[in-house]
Amino acid sequence: MQLSFSAEDEQFREEVAGWLQRNLTGEFEQLKFRGGPGDEHMFPQERKAWEQKLAEGGWTCVGWPRAYGGRGCSIEQQVIFFEEYARAGAPGRVGHIGEGLAGPTIIAFGSQAQKEKYLPGIVAGTELWCQGYSEPGAGSDLANVRTRARFDATRNQWLITGQKVWTSLAHESDYCFIIARTDPDSAAHQGLGFFLVKMDQPGIEIRPIQQITGTSEFNEVFFDDAECGADDIVGAPGEGWKVAMGLLGFERGVSTLGQQMLFQNELDEIVNIARDNGAARDPVIRQRIADAHIGLKIMRYNSLRMLSGSEDGSLQQEALIYKLYWASWHRDLGELAMDVLGMQSEILEAPPYELSRLQSMYLFVRSDTIYGGTNEIQRNIIAERGLGMPREPKVQIKVQDSQ
Amino acid sequence: MDFTFTEDQQLLADSVATFLHREVTPERIRASWEGEGSDTRLWQQLVELGLPAMLVPEEHGGLGMNELDFIQIAQECGRVALAEPLVEMAMIATPMLAQLAAGSQPCARVLQQIAAGEARVAIGHPLNPAVADAGIADWLLLASGREVHLVPSDAATLIRQDSVDPSRRLYTPEWDRTAPTYRVAGEEAGAAAWCAALNRGAVLNAALLLGLAQGMVAQSVTYAGDREQFGRPIGANQAVKHHMANCAVQAEFARSPIYRAAYAVAQDPARAHIAASHAKLAAGEAALLAAKNAIQVHGAMGYTWECNLHIWAKRAWALEKNWGDAGFHQERLHAWLLEDTTDIGAEHTFDYPAPEALDSAA
Repeated sequence: MQLSFSAEDEQFREEVAGWLQRNLTGEFEQLKFRGGPGDEHMFPQERKAWEQKLAEGGWTCVGWPRAYGGRGCSIEQQVIFFEEYARAGAPGRVGHIGEGLAGPTIIAFGSQAQKEKYLPGIVAGTELWCQGYSEPGAGSDLANVRTRARFDATRNQWLITGQKVWTSLAHESDYCFIIARTDPDSAAHQGLGFFLVKMDQPGIEIRPIQQITGTSEFNEVFFDDAECGADDIVGAPGEGWKVAMGLLGFERGVSTLGQQMLFQNELDEIVNIARDNGAARDPVIRQRIADAHIGLKIMRYNSLRMLSGSEDGSLQQEALIYKLYWASWHRDLGELAMDVLGMQSEILEAPPYELSRLQSMYLFVRSDTIYGGTNEIQRNIIAERGLGMPREPKVQIKVQDSQ
Repeated sequence: MDFTFTEDQQLLADSVATFLHREVTPERIRASWEGEGSDTRLWQQLVELGLPAMLVPEEHGGLGMNELDFIQIAQECGRVALAEPLVEMAMIATPMLAQLAAGSQPCARVLQQIAAGEARVAIGHPLNPAVADAGIADWLLLASGREVHLVPSDAATLIRQDSVDPSRRLYTPEWDRTAPTYRVAGEEAGAAAWCAALNRGAVLNAALLLGLAQGMVAQSVTYAGDREQFGRPIGANQAVKHHMANCAVQAEFARSPIYRAAYAVAQDPARAHIAASHAKLAAGEAALLAAKNAIQVHGAMGYTWECNLHIWAKRAWALEKNWGDAGFHQERLHAWLLEDTTDIGAEHTFDYPAPEALDSAA
């Protein structure tokens, strides 16, 4: 065990910090500390420009192999990158779904042609991605997907019909990866395909969903014979579930470190307010601040320990516990933030419904314990897959015609 | 001892509940978010039911009822998430005016107007971030130090503050604090009046919070019965129904302290500190848990503006911090419990002594 960074790594840290200091200026100054949880809808164009700025410096996809345009950073260097990125207050990554999910999935499961077609746009920060998993009838029961993909041989295209929901940043995205049913007679995990779909086409309609924050970063996406090239299915028809689940492993990898750094910034802000407004004199608040600090350190150490033993920067078994822990921790942090603000927590920044960063966070954390698998689903997974306890009774259902 | 409501109290609460459930719909609440937000017709209906006049003493033209008569009505107002300022006006501002009316002609006059359904009063306690519904009030009860000022709303400059709850219309008032005509209580009488108002406010907010919690549980139970995943209602899963059971337990156990505290403020609001704080804490906890679990049970739908749940959840989050937040009320309880002289022996089930040292108006 060696809990420190090498001299070489520290030099890398200086390199990251220096680059951010020189480049997070001018037109990008306004993006500092923006675009985080609850603020993701802000400055999409400017943040896309920032992605391209990062790309110029070679700071997108830092953990990807060099062969695919990445920087090939070690785990330690990725840790350092995320630390410095957060410390500089650099904005939430509008390209994170491409870099963190679509890209690694294509690298792991995609064809050579798909790698050549899609990876460069992600690395360059010019092409943004969104994720089409959930549907109105497929939330916790994700395998109940009813969106259909049927192959039209004359056009050599997959034609996709159905509806996805809770699609983050769909209106800003160039591509969406979706799971859809390739075998209409199949049920549950069988008969699904994993598709890479261009968003700008007549068969796709995007409707924003207004959230309790008053803003809309989630969308409903309607597919009506939307086209997807014959070469844009990842894996074979019927293998969609395998690919989709492989992707979840990436979701819980090194990107968790960047998320923890955002959390650290939020906790710092709460502590500063508590010092200023006297809430820090309240012994109950003091205890909760200490608890929040401890919880964050636990997450951080846990991630670092698991990543140290991982070859490819992905978390497998450990991912089972992580979502439940961070989502619950973050929801508690939101409550702490409001209690620290006290009676001022109610007052908005400005009409008509402009929230402060912490208010926005407080409302946003309500979705943390829901998206990507609810706390209840996570507990079932921990108990059933982690501990090997008997499974919840499942009712067998037949997928109905969605027409 | 009789820890129940009279038949008359129960009948009144039931009939008002029936009215509120029929009239106060989520659509109507959403409509009130536009513009200045007052639903004039709804307010007129509340006046016709005699609700604003309930706590106006008979000698000023009112019904001469007390907080115990009103407490279940407040709970029902919470259950339907009523946005109109009925509770603050009828149960907090009105009794404060009644308390001061003996020495103040203006207070007596405003009471007459309230009884006649001609005036609305907003109250600005120093422990609240702003004055709710000052924009549609005719009179404002405001604190200048510990003095009580009764200010015609058109004589004050009102600065609008937006609340996280779109139903709440908040204002920061500015007025001529030196004008002698506004002062209806000096430092000493004012301190007592603000102290009583805080206790009433805490109890009434507790009743609203309890109603909000019950409303959120009811919506979530319905949703969990309708929404299907894995081929059956999500409410069939233990993890989901336990969320609701936990909320129901918290809410049910908040009821008794609230009713007990309503009794205490009806007896003597200046000596109701401990009962009021207890009620506010219990109800606040129940409402926050209900908001948290209700959103969780609604899944992503509960996170949308379209789903009505956030009307209730945001009201709960806002009210929980008004009339003293949890830290304030916990501190009042701790300070009293840990005094050397505090006697909490077995014989003190109902008679909390009011600690004079804890001046809540400060």
